[in-house]
Amino acid sequence: MSDATKSYKSFDAASLLPGGASIHRLSALMTLLLLVVGFALSSQAFFSVNNGLTILLQTSVIGLLGIGMTMVIITGGIDLSVGSVLALSGVVSALAVKAGLPVVPAMGCGILAGAACGAFNGLVITRLRIPPFVATLGMMLIARGLALQITGAVPISGLGNAFGILGNGALFRMVEMRPNGFPKVIFPGIPYPAILLLIVAIAGAYLLHRRQIGRHIFATGSNEEASRLSGVRVDRTKLYAYTISGALAGLAGNVLMSRLVTAQPSEGVMYELDAIAAAVIGGASLSGGVGTISGTMIGAFIIGILRNGLNMSGVSAFIQQIVIGLVVIGAVWIDQIRNRP
Amino acid sequence: MSQTPLVEMIDIEKHFGGIRAVDHVSVDLREGEVVGLLGHNGAGKSCLMRILSGAMAPSGGEIRIRGEAVHFSEPNDARDMGVETIYQTLALADHLDAPANLFLGRELKTRFGNLDDKAMLKAAREVLARLNPNFKNLHDPVSSLSGGQRQVIAIARAIYFDTKVLIMDEPTAALGPSETAMVAGLIKELRSAGIGIFLVSHDIHDVFDLCDRVVVMNKGRLVGSHHIDEVSKDDVLSLIVKGELPMDWSARNLKAAQ
Repeated sequence: MSDATKSYKSFDAASLLPGGASIHRLSALMTLLLLVVGFALSSQAFFSVNNGLTILLQTSVIGLLGIGMTMVIITGGIDLSVGSVLALSGVVSALAVKAGLPVVPAMGCGILAGAACGAFNGLVITRLRIPPFVATLGMMLIARGLALQITGAVPISGLGNAFGILGNGALFRMVEMRPNGFPKVIFPGIPYPAILLLIVAIAGAYLLHRRQIGRHIFATGSNEEASRLSGVRVDRTKLYAYTISGALAGLAGNVLMSRLVTAQPSEGVMYELDAIAAAVIGGASLSGGVGTISGTMIGAFIIGILRNGLNMSGVSAFIQQIVIGLVVIGAVWIDQIRNRP
Repeated sequence: MSQTPLVEMIDIEKHFGGIRAVDHVSVDLREGEVVGLLGHNGAGKSCLMRILSGAMAPSGGEIRIRGEAVHFSEPNDARDMGVETIYQTLALADHLDAPANLFLGRELKTRFGNLDDKAMLKAAREVLARLNPNFKNLHDPVSSLSGGQRQVIAIARAIYFDTKVLIMDEPTAALGPSETAMVAGLIKELRSAGIGIFLVSHDIHDVFDLCDRVVVMNKGRLVGSHHIDEVSKDDVLSLIVKGELPMDWSARNLKAAQ
């Protein structure tokens, strides 16, 4: 077995920073650095502060989805519904704002809606004994349908400036007004989504490595029957994992819709695949029991940078899909070789 | 032996559809007693033990621990009453290390509710060293350990907590000779500490070496419960295979008593 399998316990600085004990993570990190160097050489604009911030923003959505996805994948499941739940949550938040709620409680409603979708997934999987793939595929359609139905498939705009702060604001932003009346940005600041991602990542790693529920998430994915016989409440553990995944999809939806200051019911299609790819590239095993938040963060950045870098180099969106598909297959293939006796 | 038995399983039934896996079986177990549970595969012995360990709910009947009726709806209920089980599959989570497996489902926590890995590691080191002084791989996932080491973890988990009743399901099936001897020594040690043990096995020699009493099941029914001195291996074999004692058994026994 590889180093990655024992990293479930190593919650220290090294497990949050890239390149901890895991060989897989190290190789993923090397890939990430190679990508950065490669794109920096091929495009001048890539290696700039502004583009760095754009990447941070883009990655934060994949990263948030990826954290929830990692927990679900460690239990041995999968959550195909996060892209649709993201859209539904954003729409619910926007409708709540339109109904007169202040922005913060309105976004809370959106996140709750996401958590409810996740809990529904968990209940279908544990009570009705439906495989996660099928249960969350169902939710993928249900949440998307709901989002389209309650909006009439029309984007909700005119949400006010406050709605855009989460997605567009930044900490330590320095702006100076020039004599001609246009603002000049001296330092763009650290975007709120990036800060949010960091906080959620740390919280997620803490949950997985330092709390009983995290230990049980690993145990459930490692050997479900053994865990049940050992007194682990396997069903409740799964329910938690899917609920967290749903809530984080809701949070990601709010970040995304806030960035656009518009709620798009058709937003987030295929995002679940980015999230799964991020987790798998980061070393999570689809057969369960293995995965780390730090690995998933590296995976999310690999995908974010790939997308951004290919855009900057003028590669078409179609080719991008082909490249990312190959990267995912490659990552899993390397994982298979590594685990072969 | 007038004291209340440690465990009484009374008139236990278990159906799967039309199949009677356990058919009105009553057994008991006293403190410091080792009872061997024998039978073919599918005779219902594992099923009976899964009911006692809380992994399976009975269709009917009653379980008493020290005379008190209990209801086990999940394994933790049985463990809370001091009933521990060593499963034939060992029931280990492969990706976790030995301390995590030892405390799985009842992790030690710090004051703030965090996992207390230091305390669990320390306790695991002590209990594992007692069973096997050479046990050193405390940080490796248990999937990388040998069969014997995995067995030691499963045993440690069953005896570390305040155990009163121990169910061992084929504990020596996957072990080499020296490890089997270790398990045999352990069973004797636990018996003298007053723990009651159900030893599920189909190795009749093991049972005769270690047990005080032998209980035989055949096609879901209890076909015999005898003190080990009352029966020969051939008698027990007859019980296992045919579900009854040989014709001459009572005559022989009568003669022996005279």
